[in-house]
Amino acid sequence: MDLLWFDYANLALNGLAEGLMIALPALAVTLVFGVARFPNAAVGDFVSLGCFGALAAHRATGGSIAASLAGGAAAGALGSWLGWKLAFQPLMRRHGLALLLTSIGLGFVLRAFMGLSFGHEIQLFDVPLMKALRFGPLLVNPIDAMVACFSLVCMGIVFGLLRFTSAGRTMRAIACDMDLARVVGIDSRAAMGRMWVLSGVICGVAGLALGLKTQVSPEAGADLLLPAFAAAVIGGLGNPLGAVLGAICLGVMQELSTPFVGFTYKIALSYVVMLLVLLWRPQGLFNRVQGVR
Amino acid sequence: MEAYLLAIAITALVYVLLTLGLNFQYGFTGLINFGYVGFFALGAYASAICTVRLGWPAWTGFAIGIVVPALLAWPIGRVALRLRDDYLAIVTLGFSEIVRLVIVSEKDLTNGNQGIAGVPKLFAGVAGPGYADGVLAAVLVLAVVLVALLMRAIVKSPYGRLIQAIRDDETALLALGKDPARFKTQVLMLGAAIAGFAGSFYAHYIGFVTPEQFVPIVTFQVWMAMIMGGVGRLRGAVVGAFMLLVILEGSRVARDIVPGVSEVAMSSARLAVIGLALILFIRFRPQGLLGIKRD
Repeated sequence: MDLLWFDYANLALNGLAEGLMIALPALAVTLVFGVARFPNAAVGDFVSLGCFGALAAHRATGGSIAASLAGGAAAGALGSWLGWKLAFQPLMRRHGLALLLTSIGLGFVLRAFMGLSFGHEIQLFDVPLMKALRFGPLLVNPIDAMVACFSLVCMGIVFGLLRFTSAGRTMRAIACDMDLARVVGIDSRAAMGRMWVLSGVICGVAGLALGLKTQVSPEAGADLLLPAFAAAVIGGLGNPLGAVLGAICLGVMQELSTPFVGFTYKIALSYVVMLLVLLWRPQGLFNRVQGVR
Repeated sequence: MEAYLLAIAITALVYVLLTLGLNFQYGFTGLINFGYVGFFALGAYASAICTVRLGWPAWTGFAIGIVVPALLAWPIGRVALRLRDDYLAIVTLGFSEIVRLVIVSEKDLTNGNQGIAGVPKLFAGVAGPGYADGVLAAVLVLAVVLVALLMRAIVKSPYGRLIQAIRDDETALLALGKDPARFKTQVLMLGAAIAGFAGSFYAHYIGFVTPEQFVPIVTFQVWMAMIMGGVGRLRGAVVGAFMLLVILEGSRVARDIVPGVSEVAMSSARLAVIGLALILFIRFRPQGLLGIKRD
């Protein structure tokens, strides 16, 4: 069967939606990496937490999407903040590996907690079925469109925060040079706390997006971890815009490759692309070369 | 009861082998390999494919199961070792997932998600079916001792001092005109070969292989065994692996004692215990039980 141009265009649109969803956890990964200096492997589980928070709010309010957004963001932020307070803060001065392994342990604990409290049955958001939006031969799933909007708005807010508020400036200062930031009087602990809350909110929104697009289960978010890592690495760890662009590139590429490599290998493709990017530009596509890598 | 203890001992010995290999990579050389299970899977599948699908003798599986992981570790080393630690962690984690995806997809070779059953028990012909596991345990003890002696010889040699210098101060080593990337690649390959070796034993003992057995959590269990026993301590690998088995099996025993707990709930609880142990060890005793405190 030959595919026509609009089949590819539809695949690319799907990929865009997928990419915009992965962009959120990728953004969370890169934010934590920039400020706290380690790849946070619990990001996927914060996303699952957001998923359950959103689902609970959705059911409690009889299907309000705004409430689920708030619920997801609150659950993600709470989980992330608790993780910072209980697990990461005591290790702030330790080697990055200690934090990385702690984040893996925290991820296990969160997954176990969700499994015990909400069960392992796959749950779904009860949203009314909607007809796909048609633009000529192009089809857009309204859920995808909604998820993409959430994602774009969330990213817009995050970039605004980072760029234009003093909280964002302190975060960027710490990302740039922790010691210098402290010398000029930035309260790094408080700024770290804010960063963790922000990254938790992003994960929470990603949780709602994931739940709407697919399903809710304690493991659902963890499956996003590696694509998010890959996107963040491709964009250059610590570079927020790079992470978003990397995620979109990966999403589109994965979907476009499906007719050629099949469904299983499209996931492997993101790792292969990551390896190639690391070979070609070890600092990531959108990062400048730094002194030490 | 004896059969149960023997089963635990064999599994623990496989974990000891894995922990030795990982300890070589991380404990002595400082390489953060988060894709260790990928090499383990390659060894297990090499044995399963050779004996079940091709009908070759068991030793061919062991040979291929040692060589293939080592060869695949080479390109990873080339790509990742020029990068910072965190990148190596992510790249190796990605590698183990690629291995799993390939196993799931290449159904002609691996039978996909169904896996390969009927991997023959070793020594069943020699010792009789009732004693095969006992002989296997003895052989595994021998294998562990040999690998541990090999590690010890390497670590004590000039080469061993060099790789430990990589861990402690790579820049100083560069200044001395050594090429750390080359040595790191070799360490990665040797560690991978040990993982593959353990994988072959595992396949022959369990009798079947499926992609589900080789998920990333296995890597972190090995990491946990290494951390609990003591990073950079060969004896620690034994202590850590057996402690890990106590934790894993303890939760299974608890289920028999405490009634009314479902299998799923118990597996969640087990995950929580693993996660908590990892967090607490890193926070309060990062050098492990037998480790030496280092700054």
